[in-house]
Amino acid sequence: MTKFWQLAFEGFSLGCVYALIALGFTVIYRSSAVINFAQGSMLLIAAYLISWLTVNEGVPFFVSMLISIAMLAAAAVGFQAAVLRRVRRMLEQPIFTVVMITIGLSITLTAAVDAIWGPQQRLLGDPWGSSAVHAAGVVFNWDKLWAIIFVAVIVAGFYAFDRYSRYGLATRATAADEEAALAVGIPVMRIHALAWGVAGSLAVVAGLFLAGFPNSPNPALGNSALLAFPAIILGGLESPLGAVVGGIVIGLVQLLTQGYEPGWLGNNFYEVAPYVVMIIVLLIRPYGLFGARPVERL
Amino acid sequence: MSAALVQRVRSPRALGWTAGWVVAILLPSVLSEGQESTATFVVIGAIGAVGLGVLTGYAGQISLGHAFFLGVGAYTGAVLGANHHWNAIFWIPAAGLVAALCGLIIAPTALRLRGLYLAIVTIGVLFIGQDIFLNSSSWTGGPEGREFPIVHFSSSLDFAYGNTLNIGGYTIDHNGLYYYLGLIILAISLLFVWNLSRTRMGRAMQAVRERELAASVMGIDLARTKIAAFVVSSFFAGICGALYGSFLSFAQPGDWDLTLSIQYLAAIIIGGMGTVMGPVLGAFVVFGLADVIKTLSFVSQNGSGGISPNDFSSMVYGVLIIGFLVVEPRGLMGLGARFTSRPRRRGGGATLDPRREGRQFAPD
Amino acid sequence: MNRHHLRQVAAVLATAATMVALAACGTSSHSSSATARTSTGFLVGPGVDAATKTITIGNIGAITGPAGPLGIPALAGAKVAVDEINATGGIDGWKLKILFRDAAYVPQQQVQAYDAINGQIAVLQSFGSPTTLAIQPQFDAAKLLTFPLSWDSAWDKDPLLAPVGTPYALDIANGLHYLITVKHLGTKIGIVYQNDEYGADGLRGLEAASKIDGIKVVAKATYAVGDTDMTAQAEAMKSAGAQIVVVTALPSTAGPLVGTAASLGYTPTYLFQGPSFVEQLVTATGAFGATATPIAGALSKDTYVMSFVTPWGNNVPGMREMLRWQKRFAPTQIPSIYFAWAYAQTKVLADVLRKAIESKNLSRAGIDAARLNVGTVYTGGLTPPVAYRPTLGPPSTGSIINRVDSKVQGFLDPVATNIKSPVDSTLG
Repeated sequence: MTKFWQLAFEGFSLGCVYALIALGFTVIYRSSAVINFAQGSMLLIAAYLISWLTVNEGVPFFVSMLISIAMLAAAAVGFQAAVLRRVRRMLEQPIFTVVMITIGLSITLTAAVDAIWGPQQRLLGDPWGSSAVHAAGVVFNWDKLWAIIFVAVIVAGFYAFDRYSRYGLATRATAADEEAALAVGIPVMRIHALAWGVAGSLAVVAGLFLAGFPNSPNPALGNSALLAFPAIILGGLESPLGAVVGGIVIGLVQLLTQGYEPGWLGNNFYEVAPYVVMIIVLLIRPYGLFGARPVERL
Repeated sequence: MSAALVQRVRSPRALGWTAGWVVAILLPSVLSEGQESTATFVVIGAIGAVGLGVLTGYAGQISLGHAFFLGVGAYTGAVLGANHHWNAIFWIPAAGLVAALCGLIIAPTALRLRGLYLAIVTIGVLFIGQDIFLNSSSWTGGPEGREFPIVHFSSSLDFAYGNTLNIGGYTIDHNGLYYYLGLIILAISLLFVWNLSRTRMGRAMQAVRERELAASVMGIDLARTKIAAFVVSSFFAGICGALYGSFLSFAQPGDWDLTLSIQYLAAIIIGGMGTVMGPVLGAFVVFGLADVIKTLSFVSQNGSGGISPNDFSSMVYGVLIIGFLVVEPRGLMGLGARFTSRPRRRGGGATLDPRREGRQFAPD
Repeated sequence: MNRHHLRQVAAVLATAATMVALAACGTSSHSSSATARTSTGFLVGPGVDAATKTITIGNIGAITGPAGPLGIPALAGAKVAVDEINATGGIDGWKLKILFRDAAYVPQQQVQAYDAINGQIAVLQSFGSPTTLAIQPQFDAAKLLTFPLSWDSAWDKDPLLAPVGTPYALDIANGLHYLITVKHLGTKIGIVYQNDEYGADGLRGLEAASKIDGIKVVAKATYAVGDTDMTAQAEAMKSAGAQIVVVTALPSTAGPLVGTAASLGYTPTYLFQGPSFVEQLVTATGAFGATATPIAGALSKDTYVMSFVTPWGNNVPGMREMLRWQKRFAPTQIPSIYFAWAYAQTKVLADVLRKAIESKNLSRAGIDAARLNVGTVYTGGLTPPVAYRPTLGPPSTGSIINRVDSKVQGFLDPVATNIKSPVDSTLG
């Protein structure tokens, strides 16, 4: 049973990180109907940035985290304003063209990380390292506990912002109907930029915890964002609540299948278990657990 | 010859086509050995891209699972060609048929899903397929990978390394043989798609892409149309995969990955969705450009000092995708349309609209 | 008949005509390696410039991508060996030159790089197993002697491949035999392996070692490249009570595995396959005295690493010589077993070329023949002795076993060299 609780804890913590990545996807999707394929490379660059500031430049860890958040948020807003806004202005904008642009961004960022810092793994420079709390036979690594605490605070903050601030209201209005939002005077473009800024900040925190003990900032981190795909689909692309629930479910599913997969499923079934869960859910609810069935008019 | 045909041959479009084919046929004679192998990868890739063009470009169903069907084709070719010693004239089409069958089996799952939901579910298909490849050692070689058969038509037409073909003093080597085989299959694929786009089924596909609900109200059988698009697309993917595996000679299950799928999607988007030639132009950019950039004189090849050629070419490639699509979201074919006075793409029509495709889940 | 049909018919006819033309002409086999005889009586092939007395060595490596951390020092090692040979007058006056291409460990890029340089090289160094397998039919057909920088069970079955070192599987069998029968560290064995051909070699080694008296394989766990969480694998080893855990992984996974297990309070003896270890697992930059990583402590407890090359700074003639030239040509190089391996391989390659020069035959066939005539090459203790035989089989059967120690340069302390096990030596 200890093994179960240990795996459940690790799965929950990993799921919280997936939830952050998924939230990053959802925030952008809600505002502009685009899945940002560069989310993975954004968290990769964030992990390297924190590592570089902390280990090479001697900046205190939390300060480098804040600097990285500021830099990535600014860069993401800049990208939205300089590149995506131009595409959106064009008539007949093909939806997947914008997705392709984010793929282009992802290719560039991943190569840039390799070019700047090389392919070697690095030290993150976090203060908690391998320290842990032991309780009831289960080991709680501080890195993973902090991941859960951070995600809880961020999700609560996000909810409050979304629910009670003017910008939150404007974001939801834009998500519901962009033209109507424009008509009532909502600065839709600013809302889109805001979404990218939020996604950039979320990527920093997600990258930070993915690269924490026992991992390290290494080029493979970017691929982890792929596992947030089943999470967002599970929850429904547009639902922040769905992203969080989906992320945690996927984390738990992955770790528990990893620990208990039966031999007849072949090797490494846990790699695809999140996708299997996703497909089963979609066959029952084609718009995810929390997604709304669209009302279509001719 | 009718006057209309003469007129047609003289049109800039027909001239462009003819010039394109002449260049494609003469190309290997001016290329170095290294460039020739890149050109072969481009031609083989173009076959798969033309296939994806049917599913995504014409029918509007975004698929990131294309690499899975390539893998199915490659392994079919390997099992029939290497394990059972079939002739290439049989295992190449068989690879397409088996992949098409897989498309037929998977397509119904996709019927209820739209837009980006489908895109992500096809990523799931890709990963699950990879897991099946990894666990099916008898035909994929398992995690260790396997060798793929060399194309062999007869004892006098064998594509093995070191063999050459002489036609009127013009020598074609191993890479060249694959290049021309790829080119012939590509020509047939283009002809097929060009015809398909003018049939009832082709027009149904475009109607589904433009507005699914409207299409179904008009009496188009959505399920049948989408399944047909999946089947055609996976058939070409299978052929492409069989040739790719054979030309590469060795692959591991991990090679049929998301990166490969994304390359094909990039090819059709960069080339221009919903056009016949778009995927071919896109394939040139996606599979050829990186290599061209790497051979630029100012890029240091020996890995000493400065940025590595791979990083440099990836960065330039990424920036080009972004820059180009911002300038012309309809791709290279859209760029072409800007410079000719002819009405835009007769078979094409409008591309996808986010408000209808992506945002349709929001209550109106 | 309307014009659409005309066009189709034309296309089909053109296609058919081409097919017929192709079939009618027929392919013929020919040797692509053009050879010529020089005025000094040398038979030379591609990549050999008799006028300037220069021999070009092709090197297709990986300085970017997932294998970059291993490929970068490997290229540096090969370069230092070439610089050293040229600085000491070359081989009988012949200078060496490296023609490098980066293929990023991607088979397709390896093929493109091979095609780009094939005509300009006399001999080839190829990094990685899946990548080398992708070009194997081509260098076989071109009769091009190739030194693979990797180990695969297929290597010692190809007469044109000249590996340096001991097969991975044999390495693991040797290491297990040593830890079980000499060190008596336990008989319950577990393995964590990467789900690819490299991992399969680890499994083969374990299978071969199963003939050792008293050995019990209690747990096998696998993972895929890029996995971030090793909890389940560590738990599997722990709950099975494995005393020795064989790790056939890449460093980015081997590190998290050891770290996770340690934080679960599980500290078995580890036996690392060579590529599982990289110096950056111990300190931030991999250099001696740099900031320790969070897993350095766990790693220094009881981890053994198999290698084909003696650890950095070990007091053997080959290592002393290598370090002397490394200080001159690559002063910033941190200790790296990949640097030393590639250096040693390039020195073996130079010995083969020396033999070919002696027999005045620098054609591809001549270089390949020289490999068999070179006899046993002692790399000054840098690697186990290398001997290529016409009957094929691994060129070396001994292994070097090291223990991770954060207090020495390169973090590896040699425990025993040239250890062997009573398993089938044809195991590859």
